[in-house]
Amino acid sequence: MAFDLPPPSVAAASVSAALTTTKVEVSSDYHGQKIVLYGAVFNSTDRPADVVVVVRGPDQSVRISRKVQVAGLWLNSRPVVFQGAPGFYTVASSRPLNEIADFGTLRRLAIGVDYLAINTPAEGAVETRFGVKDLVVSRLGSDYLDYRRAVVRIKHAARLYDQDERGVTYVDRGLFRAEINLPTSAPIGRYQAEIYLFQGGREVQVRQRLLEVRKVGIERAIYLFAHQRPWAYGFLAVFLAIASGYGASVIFRRS
Amino acid sequence: MDVYLPIAEVSVNAPLLVGLGMVVGFISGLFGIGGGFLMAPILVFMGIPPAVAVASQANHVVASSASSVFAYGKKRAVDFRMGAVLAAGGAVGSLVGVEIFRMLRLMGQGDLVVSLSYLVFLGVIGALMLIESLGSLVRRRRGEAPEAFKDRRPAWLYGLPLKMKFPRSRLYISVIPPVLIGVFVGILSAVMGVGGGFVLVPAMVYLLRMPAGVVVGTSLFQIIITTSLVTILQAGRNQTVDLMLATLLLFGGVIGAQLGARASARFRAEELRVVLAVIVLLVGLQMGLGVFVASADPFVLAPGAGG
Repeated sequence: MAFDLPPPSVAAASVSAALTTTKVEVSSDYHGQKIVLYGAVFNSTDRPADVVVVVRGPDQSVRISRKVQVAGLWLNSRPVVFQGAPGFYTVASSRPLNEIADFGTLRRLAIGVDYLAINTPAEGAVETRFGVKDLVVSRLGSDYLDYRRAVVRIKHAARLYDQDERGVTYVDRGLFRAEINLPTSAPIGRYQAEIYLFQGGREVQVRQRLLEVRKVGIERAIYLFAHQRPWAYGFLAVFLAIASGYGASVIFRRS
Repeated sequence: MDVYLPIAEVSVNAPLLVGLGMVVGFISGLFGIGGGFLMAPILVFMGIPPAVAVASQANHVVASSASSVFAYGKKRAVDFRMGAVLAAGGAVGSLVGVEIFRMLRLMGQGDLVVSLSYLVFLGVIGALMLIESLGSLVRRRRGEAPEAFKDRRPAWLYGLPLKMKFPRSRLYISVIPPVLIGVFVGILSAVMGVGGGFVLVPAMVYLLRMPAGVVVGTSLFQIIITTSLVTILQAGRNQTVDLMLATLLLFGGVIGAQLGARASARFRAEELRVVLAVIVLLVGLQMGLGVFVASADPFVLAPGAGG
């Protein structure tokens, strides 16, 4: 895989791109943010090239359970833990992914919500099947796909996962743009935008851009206080509560 | 005017939170309950993660209860000794309850236990309170004398050892029943994320036979101690207390509680109990019936492990 290599001197296609915002500041009026990515395709060959933009947030493992009916009550089954699921994931392309590259390529590069490399290591069991030793088999069996689809569905409903096959639009010849919509619930941390250039079903170039979402101002101060000195934070919260309760009773007694 | 909450990591409408705090504070001051059983479901409905909602509203309960206790304390309507005995039991109960709840959450059954607890406890207490208070209201309308307790001094209350004087309540009873009630309320408050006033108030009236005048103030005093402990434990162990959220809620809450404590003098105790019973019953049914209805999506995210 080529990372930010200069375009080779022979006739080839290359891509470059930039984010309009590289630092998202989460303050008390934060509503989520729309970030625009601009890029250009230099294609001196006569073969068409496709651009795919993938934005991944920090990984957050997901615990998911299924509701099962037992004696008239809906109970949660034992939760299944998915590792490696990004907290935010969006893919934008100019046409459907399966027309741009084949299953193996998309799976290897983890492009597209259906090809994300998320798995359930805790459910794995090492078995010997059909004479093959040390085969990792999921205890979930065929239910695995249902669980996996549910993770994507729930994240999509929270606008944390998205896939838009019209997301990359051409502004001018070779000049494209893509929009990234961060919802308020998008996790704090480092994000990575990868801009892939595909030609003839193969990736010919990858560019990476970094994006950071971080809390600032009072939001950051409260968050750090709560995590660095949790007990003092708890005492302060109780003190504030009792003091304001007392304050209100004094004010109301006078009035 | 939306504000981003640093711990809950969601954006919510600030005046709405202040208003919600005020309404729940009013109810809290009026009935002598913490109001957590109302607040927690509403916050979750607004999109705040349940763990943060439960922990932060405990802090709101501290504030609104403190606000009305200072008002009741002036009127000598708080039995501090009884409150301390109940709170000692409550502290033990909430430590046990936090551990029980942690295990249930790890098994993925936290939601179910919360829903069932709401249905069973709020449903039963609401129904009993409704029947009793409607009954005495009807008797009052007919001009009959209020029904006296059949047994003013039940043997189980007076026969037990470890007797203690409670001058404010005019009681000389064993400390065992109040401590056990405290433990039970402590477990409930950890599991349901509530102060437990809706259990305490009826328990003090019907089990301990405390005079009605001191019940509300004493209940609030015990709730302050339990919910302060819950706030500190939740902040220290789980970092789930959102100061921004708690501040907005308690700003409205302390004002509402003062208004509620004033308004309570204008109503008859029976009338207040009818209204409280209806609220308790409705919240219990609303929260609890979910476990009997199939949800649209059979998969749910389990708490813990991020996401």
